[in-house]
Amino acid sequence: MTVLIVDDISVSIPVFEVSGRSLRKALARIGQRNALADANDGVINVRALQNISFALESGDRLGLIGPNGAGKSTLLRVLAGIYRPQQGQVMRRGKAVPLLDLTLGLDNNSTGRQNIRLRGLFLGLSPAEISDNENGIIAFSELGDYIDMPVRTYSSGMRMRLAFSISMAVEADILLLDEVLAVGDSAFQAKAKARLQEVSGRAGILVMALHSSPAIMEFCNKALWLQDGMVRMLGECHEVVRAYDDFMHGRS
Amino acid sequence: MQDNTLSLLISGCKSWRLWTLLGWQDIRQRYARSTIGPFWITLSMGVMVGAIGLVYGTLFDQNMKGYLPLVGSGFVIWGLISGVLNDSCFAFINNSNYIRQSDACLWVYVFQVIWRQIIMLAHNFVIVIILQFVFGILKLGELIFFIPGLALLLLNLTWMAYLAATWSTRYRDIPQLISALVQILFYITPLMWWPKMMQKHQWLLTINPFANLVDLVRSPLLGTAAQPESWYVAIGLAVVGWTLALLTSARTYRQIAYWI
Repeated sequence: MTVLIVDDISVSIPVFEVSGRSLRKALARIGQRNALADANDGVINVRALQNISFALESGDRLGLIGPNGAGKSTLLRVLAGIYRPQQGQVMRRGKAVPLLDLTLGLDNNSTGRQNIRLRGLFLGLSPAEISDNENGIIAFSELGDYIDMPVRTYSSGMRMRLAFSISMAVEADILLLDEVLAVGDSAFQAKAKARLQEVSGRAGILVMALHSSPAIMEFCNKALWLQDGMVRMLGECHEVVRAYDDFMHGRS
Repeated sequence: MQDNTLSLLISGCKSWRLWTLLGWQDIRQRYARSTIGPFWITLSMGVMVGAIGLVYGTLFDQNMKGYLPLVGSGFVIWGLISGVLNDSCFAFINNSNYIRQSDACLWVYVFQVIWRQIIMLAHNFVIVIILQFVFGILKLGELIFFIPGLALLLLNLTWMAYLAATWSTRYRDIPQLISALVQILFYITPLMWWPKMMQKHQWLLTINPFANLVDLVRSPLLGTAAQPESWYVAIGLAVVGWTLALLTSARTYRQIAYWI
């Protein structure tokens, strides 16, 4: 039984490059409180997520929506176990496979085939599983002979196809996707969507951040609307997306 | 999600396929498209050992038969020590793209540095073997102690690497500090001179645990036995250091992803 329970998590991300200690800023801060960040010791802590709670079980497909900077990607990183929340708990049962940023996690100077091995090991596959899946991955990515060329020679669409194909080859219980359907040509997008349906059908839990409302409606049964790191609305997919669209259009 | 400090270390060890691959990949990339490839490591070290041996051997008025093997094996071992200390500062920083993309155990990136330096040591070791053939100082009875000596050195370097990686990620002055420190250590560790030549300032060797670590690995290669206190110092250092590294891991492990 796959479950993903998020219990009242809060995350603040320290930003070191910004000098919170400069005199000018300290003076400017007198009498006003910064709603976005707490400053201490020259480090600015950005509150990225506040008091998020939800529970998902097998068959749930959660879409994350919200404007840029709302905390969608941060939430996915927390779910993947990359960021540990400062407060609250994430209970995860089942193998989680993150596909968060397509440009990261591939090694530019290695060939496509070497990257299959590398990413496979990162995703926790055994060497036997990697070699079993290799041909399937190459076929799905449609890279052909390019698979033996260094990844730096690939176009962004080709990179995306490779990264996507590797992640889809894993027997995941929980799939975490960040805007991955935005790249790739239309033929591959259709294929990727079909594959996602298939994987999410067997996988159990799917959490994806998407900008486009139609895609959310197509894939998800639940939606979470994040606004400034807080849950604005959580519930049945159509309801949330409609409220979000109304809000966005009403504002512009 | 397990947060137990020891189980994190164990899961890092278990991912050996990953860190050996990452370590190899670093070497392969650094020497990609060069004709003699990683043997540049051997060549540059060999030329340095030859030059230093010739110049300082003459300056110190040393017998080459004893002096060249001292410098050769000392530099090869120091290459490992300084390589680990300097590279480990960037273990997390340079892997930020992987760390932000995957929940692989962070120890993997520390072991990657160690593995990469072991590969470089293996290339440099050709020099030690050549010196053994030319000067014939090998004694099998002593050479056996090379293996546990090297293991103890690596054990010590691993906790140092973990600490350096962690604190360099948080405080970006640490890499500079460590590279300055390594430079000083190079001069106060008996690499270009015999320990007995420093009788006037023996305290320099007493306070410097790296003198013991080098002694432990180098003496078997020179056909002598390491000082008994070198073993005690190295074992004591490992116990203290690993305690420190695990305590640091318990306190900071979950923050590292935020620091990169």
